[in-house]
Amino acid sequence: MMHQTIRGGGIEAIDDPYLSLRDINKRYGMVEVIPNLNLEVRKGELIALLGPSGCGKTTTLRMIAGLISPTSGTIAVGGRDVTHIAPHGRDMGLVFQSYALFPHMTVAGNVAFGLEMRGLPRAEIAAKVGKALDMVQLGHLSGRKPRELSGGQQQRVALARALVIEPSILLLDEPLSNLDAKLRDEMRAQIRDIQQALGITTVFVTHDQVEALSMCDRIVVMKGGFIEQVGTPHDIYEHPVTPFVASFVGRTNRIKGIGGQDGSIRIGSSTIRAAAPAQKGDVTVMVRPHRVHIDWDLAAAERQTHAANRIPAALFRITFVGDVIQYHFSIDGSEFIVEEATVRSQAGRRPGQTAMLSWSIEDTSVFGAGS
Amino acid sequence: MADNPTSWSMRVIVGLLFLFLLAPVLLVFPISFSGDDVLAFPPNSWSLRWYEELVGNSVLMSAFLTSIGLAVVVTALSLIIAVPASYAIVRLKVTGSEFLFNLFTAPLLLPTIVLGLAILIIFASMGLLATFTGLVIGHLVITLPYALRVLSVSLGNLNLACEEAASTLGARPLVVFLRITLPMMASGIVAATALCFLVSFDEVVITLFLTGPRITTLPVELFHHVESQADPLVASASVLLILMTLAVVVTVDRTMGLTKAFIK
Amino acid sequence: MTVAALDLPIAAPKSSSRAGIATVLLLPIALVNAIGFLLPVLNLAKMSFNEALAGGGIGEAFTTANWTGLLQDQFYLELLVNSVTVSLGITIATLLASYPIALYLHRASGMWRTFLTVLVISPLMTSAVVRTYGWIALLAEQGPVANVIAAMGFQPPRMMFNTTGVVIGLTEILMPYMILSLMAGFGRLDPKIEEAAQTLGATPFKTFWRIVLPLTLPGIALGCLLCFVLAISSFITPKLMGGGRVFLLATEIYDQAIVTLNWPLAATLSMLVLIIFGLALAVYSRVLQMIDQG
Repeated sequence: MMHQTIRGGGIEAIDDPYLSLRDINKRYGMVEVIPNLNLEVRKGELIALLGPSGCGKTTTLRMIAGLISPTSGTIAVGGRDVTHIAPHGRDMGLVFQSYALFPHMTVAGNVAFGLEMRGLPRAEIAAKVGKALDMVQLGHLSGRKPRELSGGQQQRVALARALVIEPSILLLDEPLSNLDAKLRDEMRAQIRDIQQALGITTVFVTHDQVEALSMCDRIVVMKGGFIEQVGTPHDIYEHPVTPFVASFVGRTNRIKGIGGQDGSIRIGSSTIRAAAPAQKGDVTVMVRPHRVHIDWDLAAAERQTHAANRIPAALFRITFVGDVIQYHFSIDGSEFIVEEATVRSQAGRRPGQTAMLSWSIEDTSVFGAGS
Repeated sequence: MADNPTSWSMRVIVGLLFLFLLAPVLLVFPISFSGDDVLAFPPNSWSLRWYEELVGNSVLMSAFLTSIGLAVVVTALSLIIAVPASYAIVRLKVTGSEFLFNLFTAPLLLPTIVLGLAILIIFASMGLLATFTGLVIGHLVITLPYALRVLSVSLGNLNLACEEAASTLGARPLVVFLRITLPMMASGIVAATALCFLVSFDEVVITLFLTGPRITTLPVELFHHVESQADPLVASASVLLILMTLAVVVTVDRTMGLTKAFIK
Repeated sequence: MTVAALDLPIAAPKSSSRAGIATVLLLPIALVNAIGFLLPVLNLAKMSFNEALAGGGIGEAFTTANWTGLLQDQFYLELLVNSVTVSLGITIATLLASYPIALYLHRASGMWRTFLTVLVISPLMTSAVVRTYGWIALLAEQGPVANVIAAMGFQPPRMMFNTTGVVIGLTEILMPYMILSLMAGFGRLDPKIEEAAQTLGATPFKTFWRIVLPLTLPGIALGCLLCFVLAISSFITPKLMGGGRVFLLATEIYDQAIVTLNWPLAATLSMLVLIIFGLALAVYSRVLQMIDQG
């Protein structure tokens, strides 16, 4: 069973995991890069390892691929222990951040390489290579050399090369970070489509939370060698269980408050409640900017009684961000941003006005001080 | 607003200095077409007689062939020995790699006169003086450091991810080396080949200690010739040497660009 | 395609087998290095402490006779001093001749710079014998240089078979090394720095003296070290142009080894060259320290 190494929540026991990492520890000399990591991935699932640089996500991926050996722990694929098997025996497809296409071979040669290593007959190789290149719409470039291709095209060749061998697991190491924004969007959709069409178990490393949220079945948020939270994109975004997850994924407000006897939190002269009871003493409250409702008629709002959290605040800045307008309020000396869709927002608001901000208790996360 | 560096006086000075730098090498060409009996510049008459003499001089011609044969053997051996060595030092990175690299490139730090003498004394007791084998080893001592240097740099610049990619695609380490690493090192190998060939072909001082009446190389024969009498024959032989060098250099330049190969 | 379709999986190589593979790969080069470098050099050092026997053999006993004899012999002391001073002179001459070229090259760019760099390197590709021969042709009595000097109204000096010729020849031969060293050390020289100095009112000469020169000192130091060690161990040019009348360390080593067959003495002289190398390197390090400290 999984050990208590996940700081946050979101642990689900998976029956019959396809890929499982148990008690993985990686140490370089005195430095423990990954103290104790446990992870289970279902067959056919697209799971993201998300986190800032240095969190251990690439190290974990390379351990799955066999390019790095864990100091201790086991890695199993389809029930088979692969921990001590060299990379060339693991039947995995790896797409590198730099694509790593063989510069001295043509596109077709690159894609054919894995099949050649498996000893397939030439005719079969040619057929499979053709199909793989068609799948990424690059059939017409099969005779070119990598240096003649654009970044996006190289990336698709790398993808085809990894997929043509029909690997048990597909591993992607930040494959989209070298592409420009528009191309990234297109490739995201394409990778997702191909992955679902083939039903291939995939582990995707990224530092871009938008990528993780938009593509994956589940996200593993990592920091400092630990898993902070595992969950669906919805879980991660709406119900972050640690302050790090709350601020790393999506935008969030943080306000300092004081936890009281009954679990409520005092901020300035207002009292609010969080989804979970707050501990006593200094705490940090987090609320997503788009979950807050603004009532500009302060007097009327104060007369109402709701089950929601309400705090009066003074507006000091308005920022127009295209499809969203950000209202910057000041609460107890801290900045508190509320986002409204531009179409629904009314004109005429000015810095200096006061309003009543309200949001539901379920949307309120509270953490200990120092978060 | 003439910049000081491109002022005319500077240009003239640099021009004269370049003339000084290139004069001897350039001079050899016209002298080779001299018709005189003795060395004189400018020549009093012109002819191809010294080229004819060169071709007809059996000592020089056989020395030339020995030089080429020696250079080819030395170059081939240098690559065969240095490629695995550079792989061991750069890729396998075992403890002491850096020390070994410094040790194996150390011969370049020694003046050839000292190295030549040292080798002479040892080879004398091993019976390797004036033998082809002795010459090969003597040349390998200085070509191997060059080859190791160039190949190590080339190997170090390779994108490791390509080798890792090949590995994950199912290639065993030896296959990775032969199908991926080696082809990607091609430009470095070409540079090392050219360098080893030229170093061996032009080598004089160490070779001087290791040759004899039975076996000699072209530079050594030219040396002896100039020692006794400096006539235009040396010029025509020099032209031959220079053209040979040019051919090798141009080939390297075609493959990868001369300045990239040698200026790091 | 399942994993079973691949060959039996092999465990990732442990570090001990990596060391084993590395040893095998390094064996050939280690062998050549041992036979052709380590053994000979160590033997040479040892031989400087052996005695040359009258019959032509080498005594096995340890003796410092070679060293004491050398350092008490007037001829060899003069040889030593001569070699060092001539090499220093060549170094300075090479520096003066190379600096303008290096500066010009550093400021050039694009195709022109590449072309000039190739031009600078190209003499290195020819044998020292060829270049020396060219100088013999140039500096001979009644040669082109003599004729030019005579045409200007001066008595052309003797430049062959004496130290003058050797200095001129070696200076030219070593110029490419100096130029490359200088250019390598010019890294800190940015045209904007000179522009800044000039906008602050410095004349071109002052800019050079106070800004350019100090910044290029590391390159100068490196070039001088390189040239000095190459000059003091140079053999071909002194031997051919000296005509047997110029005595420098390298020519003496050769003569003792091949002609007189006094190997211990030749070995001792070789060790002397290496000692001078070491001293030059020490001076260089010290100079670098001084440059760093400003």
